[in-house]
Amino acid sequence: MSSKEEFLSKSQRTQCWSSRDNFWECLRCNNDKVEKCSDLRENYEKACPIQWVKHFDRKYNYLKFKEKMEKEGYEPLNEK
Amino acid sequence: MSFCSRRFFLRFQINQISKLNFSNVSGGPSQRIELPKRKKIFFGKDGPITWKTFGITGVLGVGMVTYLLYLKEEQEEKQRKERKRQLGKAKIGGPFELIDGSNNIVKSEQFLGKWMLIYFGFSHCPDICPDELEKMALVIDNLEKNEINTGIQGIFITVDPDRDTPKVVEKYIKEFSPKFIGLSGTSDQIQQVCKKYRVYYSPGKKDVDNDYIVDHTIIMYLVNPEGEFIDYFGQNKTADEIVEHILLHMFKFKQEKSSMLSNTIDKITTLRGQKIVTS
Repeated sequence: MSSKEEFLSKSQRTQCWSSRDNFWECLRCNNDKVEKCSDLRENYEKACPIQWVKHFDRKYNYLKFKEKMEKEGYEPLNEK
Repeated sequence: MSFCSRRFFLRFQINQISKLNFSNVSGGPSQRIELPKRKKIFFGKDGPITWKTFGITGVLGVGMVTYLLYLKEEQEEKQRKERKRQLGKAKIGGPFELIDGSNNIVKSEQFLGKWMLIYFGFSHCPDICPDELEKMALVIDNLEKNEINTGIQGIFITVDPDRDTPKVVEKYIKEFSPKFIGLSGTSDQIQQVCKKYRVYYSPGKKDVDNDYIVDHTIIMYLVNPEGEFIDYFGQNKTADEIVEHILLHMFKFKQEKSSMLSNTIDKITTLRGQKIVTS
């Protein structure tokens, strides 16, 4: 979706979020292989403004990182 | 007395004693030294203390002590006030002047007498603002069902005045709740209100479509009917928690006001009573 001067209406927002969630779900099931979710990715990019896609992509990586930290803990630095 | 001066003093005393001993020896053991005797008068006409000096010293002393006590009291009062100011009130909030959807100037004074719940955001916000605004709508709805509620106005202020003109803000906010008021203004006006509420906002880099995301503080501010900032709620608070907090503040505010009112009524009645007695 190309960005317009107007903001997204409530229904547009919901549409964007659900297409994003579908894509994220697919990524989780396919070990983050984007190739396997290309259709969903296309849908998601159609439904959301470019800026939002960038924002959500960053958020996805952040959430994954956070989850990893919470599950596995962090690797201590070997400062010697 | 310092160490050195004490040593000097001791040596001086020893010298004096040895002198005495020497005179004693020369005068023979039986002879007594006749030191000039002084009458031991401390008080009265010949003494160093007379009724006059005693009186003057007394008056001066009492005056001095009273003055010192007064200074101390004043200092403590100052400290008490300072502490109260620091603890009791945060320097957040204050009057603002913005523009609503019909291009009317809206002043914060217009909301005096009502509680305000203020959220800062922008209409192109991808996820957080819509979530928070939906939460705020839920909070207002739930509050209105409660009898403790004394009237609250939900207010949305944009941090992106370039794109969010007053019209855009109004259209955006009414989708969340028709009860909300959406406010925009000039860049200066927005900067001022954000400064007062300590809201950080920073527009990100523009992409090919000139679209951008504004990074900003995610906080709801509660302002009481006297226009004073009372509490804030971060993203981590649920709607129910916020409702509980606000109800508590409303209850406390009401109690304070009613006790103040009963106090003034008491004062007025006692004054009237006195008047009746005197007249």
